[in-house]
Amino acid sequence: MFKYICKRIVYLLITLLIIVTTTFFLMKQLPGTPFDAERFNLLSAAQQAQFLEKYGLNDPVIVQYGKYIGNVFRGDFGTSFFYTGQPVSGVIMGRIGPSALIGLQAILIGLSVGLILGIIAAWRHNSGIDYFTMVVAVLGVSVPNFVAAALLQYYVGLKWGVLPVAFWQSWKSSILPSVALSFGVTAMIARFMRTEMLDVLEQDYIVTARAKGLNQFKVLMRHAVRNSIIPVVTILGPIVVNLLTGSLAVENIYSIPGIGSLFVDSIKTNDYSTIMGITIFYSAFYIFVVMVVDILYSVIDPRIRLASGGKGE
Amino acid sequence: MKKSKLLALILAASMVLATSGCGFTGTASSTAASGPAQSESTTKTSDGTITVYDTNEIRTMVQWAASDNNSFTILNNVSEGLYRLNEKHEPEPALAESYKVSDDKLTYTFTLRDGLKWSNGTALTAKDFVFSWLKQMSTDATNGYSFIMTDYIVNGAEYLDNKAKAEDVGIKALDDKTLEVKLKQPTPYFVRLTVLPMFFPLNEEYVKSQGANYGLKADNMIYCGPYTLATYDPASGSTLKKNDSYWDAANVKVSNVNVRIIKEQATALNAYKSGELSRVTLSSSDVPAMKSNAEFSSTSEFRTTYLQFNTTDKVVSNKNIRLALGYAMDRKTLADVILADGSAPATGLIANGMFGDGSKTFRELNSDITTFDAAKAKEYWEKGVKELGSAPAITLLTEDDSVTKTVATYIQGEFKKNLGIDVKIDSKTKKAKNQLMDDNNYQMAITAWGADYDDAMTYMDLWTNGTPYRGNYKSETYNSLIADAKKQTDDAKRLQDMLTAEKTLVADDAVVSPLFYRGFAYLTKPNVVNLVTHPFGPPIEFKYASLK
Amino acid sequence: MAQKTEISQELFTKAVVDKDEREHIARPNLTAFQDGWLRLKKNKAAVVSLAILVVIILLAVFGPIFSKYTFYDTDYLHTYNGPSATHLFGTDQFGRDQWARIWQGTRISLLIAVAAAFIDLFIGVTFGAVSALFGGKVDAVMQRIIEILVGIPQLIIVILLMMVMPAGIWTIVVALSITGWVNMARLVRAQILKLKNQEFVLAARVLGTGNREIILKHLIPNTVGVIVINAMFTIPSAIFTEAFLSFIGIGLAEPQASLGVLINNGYQVLQNFPFLLIFPAVVIVLIMVCFSILGDGLRDALDPRMRQ
Repeated sequence: MFKYICKRIVYLLITLLIIVTTTFFLMKQLPGTPFDAERFNLLSAAQQAQFLEKYGLNDPVIVQYGKYIGNVFRGDFGTSFFYTGQPVSGVIMGRIGPSALIGLQAILIGLSVGLILGIIAAWRHNSGIDYFTMVVAVLGVSVPNFVAAALLQYYVGLKWGVLPVAFWQSWKSSILPSVALSFGVTAMIARFMRTEMLDVLEQDYIVTARAKGLNQFKVLMRHAVRNSIIPVVTILGPIVVNLLTGSLAVENIYSIPGIGSLFVDSIKTNDYSTIMGITIFYSAFYIFVVMVVDILYSVIDPRIRLASGGKGE
Repeated sequence: MKKSKLLALILAASMVLATSGCGFTGTASSTAASGPAQSESTTKTSDGTITVYDTNEIRTMVQWAASDNNSFTILNNVSEGLYRLNEKHEPEPALAESYKVSDDKLTYTFTLRDGLKWSNGTALTAKDFVFSWLKQMSTDATNGYSFIMTDYIVNGAEYLDNKAKAEDVGIKALDDKTLEVKLKQPTPYFVRLTVLPMFFPLNEEYVKSQGANYGLKADNMIYCGPYTLATYDPASGSTLKKNDSYWDAANVKVSNVNVRIIKEQATALNAYKSGELSRVTLSSSDVPAMKSNAEFSSTSEFRTTYLQFNTTDKVVSNKNIRLALGYAMDRKTLADVILADGSAPATGLIANGMFGDGSKTFRELNSDITTFDAAKAKEYWEKGVKELGSAPAITLLTEDDSVTKTVATYIQGEFKKNLGIDVKIDSKTKKAKNQLMDDNNYQMAITAWGADYDDAMTYMDLWTNGTPYRGNYKSETYNSLIADAKKQTDDAKRLQDMLTAEKTLVADDAVVSPLFYRGFAYLTKPNVVNLVTHPFGPPIEFKYASLK
Repeated sequence: MAQKTEISQELFTKAVVDKDEREHIARPNLTAFQDGWLRLKKNKAAVVSLAILVVIILLAVFGPIFSKYTFYDTDYLHTYNGPSATHLFGTDQFGRDQWARIWQGTRISLLIAVAAAFIDLFIGVTFGAVSALFGGKVDAVMQRIIEILVGIPQLIIVILLMMVMPAGIWTIVVALSITGWVNMARLVRAQILKLKNQEFVLAARVLGTGNREIILKHLIPNTVGVIVINAMFTIPSAIFTEAFLSFIGIGLAEPQASLGVLINNGYQVLQNFPFLLIFPAVVIVLIMVCFSILGDGLRDALDPRMRQ
């Protein structure tokens, strides 16, 4: 296991380097400059030169890349173009907090509600709660989260006045966006859990366990859930990354200074250093979570062996 | 066996916690950091606080880097120029008490008020203006606004190009209270320029002591306006506090101002309804329902959205085609029915209300040069098609924001209805659209320009350089008219030049086809009085506002 | 007295061993899909869903014909009209008939849905299955490819695509196929990792079955539950991705519309003219409910373990 983890960490670094390199060169192909074209054209030649010099944009792209990688290894992510002069690490750090809090809460809600609904739905197949789960799942997935967010804001925030309409002021501000984001998570988890559980409940070992007279709850928890959770764990990885790194629509609707809107804005405004900063953060996080998920597989199901090749076994 | 499994499970679980933990600590610290903002923002509008919002982030507080409206709004309220726009959008003495102009109209002498102070107690002197203006005319300035000084001030352009020394530039502090500015040519609107943020003073000693940190945080700045910056977060907004050392502090009635960032229209409206905002801008779909509301009002800006034709394109280089397209658009329906947000139909390039001869506006003097006439449109179209030999395919380039897309959809329908042609809409991100235009790779595009200052020259100057972005328009007549207007000492002749130039550009050569002047329809809380919105320059003025 | 029975050689005839007969399976030999179809037909809910989907598809194709308006005709005297006899679903900001626009949009969104499902099934399932079955180095490399694809910001790729490809539905399909299948691949991989060491796969291997056969005949049918469910999540996300891409100008240009675009536009005026959001949303939800029930039916029908 230890050897496997070390190997994965080496992979992680290599993959990250490939991502950073590709993104860097692709990003430079984006149309336009980091500057407002109408304004930039109004700068004098000397001003333009000094400006480009300051941001190192006069060098050939390959040199810029070399310098950038060098700086990153020294922990310097450069300064933002869009937020003139603000260091990228500061800009990103300031935005991660709100996104991560909302994402984490959404996952906790979605995971607990989704698992419970999925398990009960499978356990009581074709019952009222099974159909209810199906309805929740279908609505959760086909009603986009921005519509859910807008409706929650209008009814819970404005009409009933229970929770803040928008803004990032206190923990209360994070409830509505978390709930809005959690619908999709709930839907996915409930749906996957139900399907897998239905499969598993018909397997011989469950029948055996029941026949042995094990109590129902124990059968469910010890045998059924554990054997059905692989898809949920798989799907949870990307969900965690996506939610913790922000959702553009929900952040905008609740006026939350999150990282989702920063990412989209940085790409739209060619804010090179910010794009790179977020890409590094996002991919490192993603790869790490995938690694954890892979390790979880063999913990949950010892029959799964990742470290070795598959053919001969 | 069992034990090792359990151990592995715990290990995995702790890793998951560790990942999520990273995010969570970030939250805790960032919430703590914005602690002061929290207590502020919970105060409602009734407690001596006005809360407004902008749809974009506050990009910078460094005035030689700022070029967007939101930065201008904040700068204008925490700092001040020689003059400030009053409630009627006319300049009135601010840090300056008065000014004198020489007989040749080339030397302006401003006298500052007594006892002016920066928020840190330092005295504010004429030297602070010299430092700031020279900074704006140096290569350090990145806001693209250096021209607004170098075009007028003696040796400004030479200083920028490193061909003149600071002492030779036509701006001098004669003493602590007297500032002398020498101009290259008579500029009737020069005083109107001094209300703009680029002309605000900066304290050399302080700015230099802060180095690269200047303006990054509220603590890295000093202030001389009606307010000081209490907190500043580019993404979530800023809070302003009344500046007690401001010379006119007695007349500043509202003690706290919040400027928030809200990107969604519906969010802003909900926040307004729940009492979190003092004013909200309405989208066109809200207007019919709100129009009869007592809180409703609307205003039009000095900002013209127009169709830019590329005069080197195979198709629209044909003037009859351009005229046909121009005549084929019913701008009144566009403004009143489609936009319905206080926008006004364009009747020329220069927006309604802009300065003319002092008694009449520019628009009134040069009335309707852009009109809708379906019959004429058809006529010109047929003429154009005959000259081209066949009915051409036309693509309209637009930006991907929802208002511009709406406008594009509308005029696409108008061309279909009035000319019977199918125009293709090509919508691109702002950067991609600008790139295509700069690369001369477009036929016609929806573009907009907002006035930097209250004079027609802020528009007319744009078409003198013949760049692809401006449709490759190269006209001797037009350029000589503008050149003459810039030198003219006789105000009436200068005005005549400008009027003729607009006609040449829009009606005779049909290089641009104005569409509408952007407006805003908004609701303001009944207890908020005199929250002034300027049609150009720094948009929102808190100084004159009060709460009932 | 016991009679002595003579059993002579003559009483026996040599049975002819018919090789085919020996292995004969009395039940008609059905392929997995024929079998599935037979069982799907018994599932009432699934049949109803299929029928509704067929109706929606028919409406998408012929719906606009039932209106005297086209999806692009503007009418500035009747903007934002509510649903009425003349305009069943009301009119939008430009006075365009929503009925015509919704069915026109359904057409495009269904196309996107089908494309997304295909990408998911072909690229995603194959990628995941191969990665898991081969394991070891192959798996490691293939999983790193996924990580790289996910790590590079999509929006950058999309904007670059926009610069080189004409706006339109095929550009969207290309954009979707870059990472649209990643979750599917990871899910299938995880399931197969779980399955590949189980007895039936080992048995197949012992019998000398090739990798291709093992994937197609044994592993994928056993993964069908997850595949169907994930396809259900891919489809709406593809429909909304299309709306986002159309908004930034890579997809459909006005006056064309898709359900995603209509929902986006309707959302903008939700508080004043909710019908502009509700109708397209209902169509999408209906499509998804039917897909979902049908998907469940398909899963029951195709999963070999459910065979009786």
